[in-house]
Amino acid sequence: MTATWAWLVLLFPLLGSMTIGLTFRVLPERTAGLVGIAAIVAAFVCGILALIGLQGEPHESRHVASSLWEYASVGGFTIDLGIYVDPLSIFMVLVVTGVSSLIHIYSYSYMKSDQGYHRFFSYLNFFVFSMLVLVLAGNFIMLIVGWALVGFASYALISYWYRRNTATKAGMKAFVINVVGDIGLYIAAILIFKNLGSVDYTAVFEKAPEVFSVNEWEIVAICLCLLVGAFAKSAQMPFHTWLADAMEGPTPVSSLIHAATMVTAGVYLIARCFPLFELAPTAADIAAWVGLATLLIAGTIAIAVTDLKRIIAYSTMSQIGYMFVAVGIGGYSAGMFHLMTHAFFKALLFMAAGSIISAMANMQDIDKMKGFRKAMPFTAAMLIIGALALSGFPGTSGWFSKDEIIDFAHFRGGMYDWMWIGMLIGAFMTAIYSFRIIFRILPGPACKEAEYLEQHGHVIHGEPKNPATGQLEDTEVGYPGEEHHIAEQAGGMKFAMGVLGVLALIGGLVQIPGVSEVITHFLEPTFEDSIYAGMHPSVSQAWTGLAEGALISIAGIATAWLLYIKRPDLPARFRSRFSAVYTLCVNKWYGDQVIDFLIVNPVKAFGRFCNGVFERGVINGATAGVAGITRSAGAAVRDMQSGLLRGYAVLMLFGILAIVVYFLIRSI
Amino acid sequence: MIFDAPTIDYAGLSPIIALTAGLVAIVLAAVIDPIKRFGPVLALLAYAVTAGCLIWQWNADVDLVAGALRLDGLAVTLSLLAVVSAAVAVLLAIGDPSETQAGRSDWLALLTGSLLGMVILAQATSMLTFFVGLELLSIPLYALCGTNLRRRESLESGLKYLIVGSVGSATLLYGLAMIYGASGATGFQAIADGLQAGDGMLSDSLTLVGVGLVAVGLAFKVSIAPFHQWTPDVYQGAPTPVTAFMAVATKAAAFAVFIRFFEVALGPIADQWDVLLAALAALSIVVGNVGALAQSSLKRMLGYSGIAQAGYMLAGIVTATQAGVDALVFYLAGYVAMNVAAFAVVVIRERQTGFSDDISSLRGLGRSKPLVAWPLTIAMLALAGLPPTVGFIGKLYLIEALVDDDWTWLAVMIAIGTMISLAYYLRVAATVWMSPADEPEAAAIDTAALPPQIAGAQVDPFDDPHADRRWYLLAPAIIAAAAAVFFGVIPQPLVEFANHAGNALSIWIS
Repeated sequence: MTATWAWLVLLFPLLGSMTIGLTFRVLPERTAGLVGIAAIVAAFVCGILALIGLQGEPHESRHVASSLWEYASVGGFTIDLGIYVDPLSIFMVLVVTGVSSLIHIYSYSYMKSDQGYHRFFSYLNFFVFSMLVLVLAGNFIMLIVGWALVGFASYALISYWYRRNTATKAGMKAFVINVVGDIGLYIAAILIFKNLGSVDYTAVFEKAPEVFSVNEWEIVAICLCLLVGAFAKSAQMPFHTWLADAMEGPTPVSSLIHAATMVTAGVYLIARCFPLFELAPTAADIAAWVGLATLLIAGTIAIAVTDLKRIIAYSTMSQIGYMFVAVGIGGYSAGMFHLMTHAFFKALLFMAAGSIISAMANMQDIDKMKGFRKAMPFTAAMLIIGALALSGFPGTSGWFSKDEIIDFAHFRGGMYDWMWIGMLIGAFMTAIYSFRIIFRILPGPACKEAEYLEQHGHVIHGEPKNPATGQLEDTEVGYPGEEHHIAEQAGGMKFAMGVLGVLALIGGLVQIPGVSEVITHFLEPTFEDSIYAGMHPSVSQAWTGLAEGALISIAGIATAWLLYIKRPDLPARFRSRFSAVYTLCVNKWYGDQVIDFLIVNPVKAFGRFCNGVFERGVINGATAGVAGITRSAGAAVRDMQSGLLRGYAVLMLFGILAIVVYFLIRSI
Repeated sequence: MIFDAPTIDYAGLSPIIALTAGLVAIVLAAVIDPIKRFGPVLALLAYAVTAGCLIWQWNADVDLVAGALRLDGLAVTLSLLAVVSAAVAVLLAIGDPSETQAGRSDWLALLTGSLLGMVILAQATSMLTFFVGLELLSIPLYALCGTNLRRRESLESGLKYLIVGSVGSATLLYGLAMIYGASGATGFQAIADGLQAGDGMLSDSLTLVGVGLVAVGLAFKVSIAPFHQWTPDVYQGAPTPVTAFMAVATKAAAFAVFIRFFEVALGPIADQWDVLLAALAALSIVVGNVGALAQSSLKRMLGYSGIAQAGYMLAGIVTATQAGVDALVFYLAGYVAMNVAAFAVVVIRERQTGFSDDISSLRGLGRSKPLVAWPLTIAMLALAGLPPTVGFIGKLYLIEALVDDDWTWLAVMIAIGTMISLAYYLRVAATVWMSPADEPEAAAIDTAALPPQIAGAQVDPFDDPHADRRWYLLAPAIIAAAAAVFFGVIPQPLVEFANHAGNALSIWIS
């Protein structure tokens, strides 16, 4: 029964997407939105029913592999259209469908004036379907399928406003970097099949310890290839540059894909493949160190940049860095717990940001925002809740989850103590940038947009401009519609944010050290074979860690208060005093330039070489001498419009020569 | 002296006989005015009968004509693919300027002749039938490329294909001569025996250079890099129905003989040529995929994509295992479906926009003409190897065969090539669905630049604004796209189809 519910989880979003996509001519807009919401809520309900079914099983048999049909059977290789239901995948299903339902409800109101309402919900449903394929996959092939589909859905949604140049470019960039990750995953699957003769999770994880010894180079290579996929999808260094640009998409998309669900796929992948990573501790350590580096660097950038959505995006990278550290050092349930709470408060922050940006008539620069406290009390409250949870304020969900990771690193000791210190510094920065947002936007005298809202009771009407370039754009496809919507006046937005606000506040109570620990117990069947299964800090250690976390969070908030309220001149003085550091941070540590230099430019140059130099230049040059002779050969050949026949002949000759020489050498 | 004529197995020869009879009928019908315009019907009828004969002979496994031909699973399956593509070409050509200008019957006769060459080629088990089949395939095709008499590009592509193709044929013939010299035999099986019997012939330079030259000659035909340069030019210049036929049917037939010659005749020296073919496959994958990135013409892009796809398929031969041949045939069948869908849509768009196959002519197609947009989108996704399409299973099949035979690096090349290819295939899908729907302007036709009208050529029906409602254009597109999805979800029937081809070689390869 459990498996049936899990299949239904997949079915509903797919049906929703297809229904909306195929009936866009006849279905009224609002109905399309409702169909979209209904599909995801239905998936969520089925997820809960699957959970109940799973919990009804005895502890040791809480995993179900189900195959709809044998997808392909070629040679000794069978691929099932199969899913694998265990506590880990159900956990992900619930997080994904739960948060998605709320974001769909938010979008129902937020995108009200957009001309592409059908398209938006069709894509959004399709994305949820792809993400569910990814988390429910029962073998590596299905995983790749889901992996590729979410990449495609993400591309479509980032470029959703396709008249915006910046949006289509950002979509392409996200897609290209994700494809690099896909290659990693693809190669990993090929190597897994080559060495283990199967791609099924159960078979692979069972056989891996028999075939590989610890840290054998082949298993390390497999894990590193998996990590390339994980880093690219989860925007970890050095594949992080696409995430900030992805903020070109509509805000609900940023909230859903680039905060709550898709970008955590890498964390899920490592947790899912933990039997492989435990055979390759080197690769697992690399994952953790990369996570640490990302969380620190992204933290510094988040303090420096001024675009509201991009601050939150860099914060996402940083928080996912925490999760990578967690799953890299064996704290799987801690990582998954942070994944869940992060989904709550980060989705909330994005939603609140969307509301503020609407009120600002699509401007995203926090330097221009001020005094929204009175004009938008509900949004302000939600923004504060989100920031509190993000900075790990005592009692909020983020406090429990983040400090569990930090504490686990300290518990592992040794070199992991360096990670512990790094993550504490990261937590301090998190508190600063979270409250930088709050102190910049909410208090103080109202800016003209906030004032207008207070006096007239509706949002100021601004020119439809691209926030990145300032270009005017058409409201049909390049703008969230003629009218903007804020949470105070739109029921859907208010409801979604309210629910998430409550979850962000109290969501951590499920995992209080020594008291509830629901997540750990729930995930236990999945991770019980792990070598870290019995290892966790004692209750008193955990509470010491929480106390440290609380102190750091409060210290960070106090520092932010000092910097942005008490002595607002300080940041400017820092900026001029340490201009080099500031320039580095505000330019995002030149990540874009580095990636351009390392990947994009060489690829482009190669393309140019192939096109220009190789196809035209070399051939032209090589044939210049022959040309004179051939010219008289035929007038028709002379003014060929496309391509140079003479050149082709020469190149072919070289090819033939090379092959003949190869064989002549072989025959000697 | 008693002369014993070889016994003739009419049942085994029936596909060739049916097709030849059809060819004669088409040529004769051209002079009888009342039935002249039923040329396409006649051609389709002939193809249907041929296909019927092939299916009738599905389980055949016989040597024909004193061992010059062999009708077996491989021949039957790949001939069927060629016949289906030819039938599609006939449909796509209805109303095409190339067909009307060249004269409908002549055009169809050329097409049928080329198809006859393919059917012979797929059965060839002797160097003579090999070469005769190849030339019979090629020569009508050169003419077909130039049948749009009023378009400079068409004439040019015909000429270019002729010159390059002749170089290929000459190289091939030279190689065959050397192998004959080394083995003293013309039959494929006899060559294998001869090479093994001869002292040190297996690694003699005469043999190996011959092998190299034959590989080059065949590489020309299936457009493997570095012998691919003609492909984008000719694909772009030739009338699109011809391009469609050339892209799929030629590959099916040429790969049939590629498999047979290398796995049967040269099977004993597989470890001499496998590295070379692997290198050619890898080079094609890189060149094809990188080359396609910068193309703005849809047909050119499909040309480069064809080079990359040929590279994938060649990898199936490299393994010299039955699994590899199975995978190749499976991929080839999928390739037919994907390309037919794509080219049918190109034909529709060309007629609506006055011979513009630029990718920008697809803008906004998703909104305005979803029935045309969907087949193209599916074709692109399938070519890109996205699930759940036949392209995905095909690539998996190939990768599995390669990994099984320890060609992991080539499997990785396929994976990387696939990923690169997403960029240009999805660009088409994005143009179709995510670009504003402004009607593209018809490409201006510079009448002064047109070559003089050749006697008998009729006026071009360049524009057909209702091309997207013509059943003979829509049906191939939709059926092919549906097949690409169907066999992606339920691949088993196609797997059995491919196995049937692979089993035919079970005597020679493991």
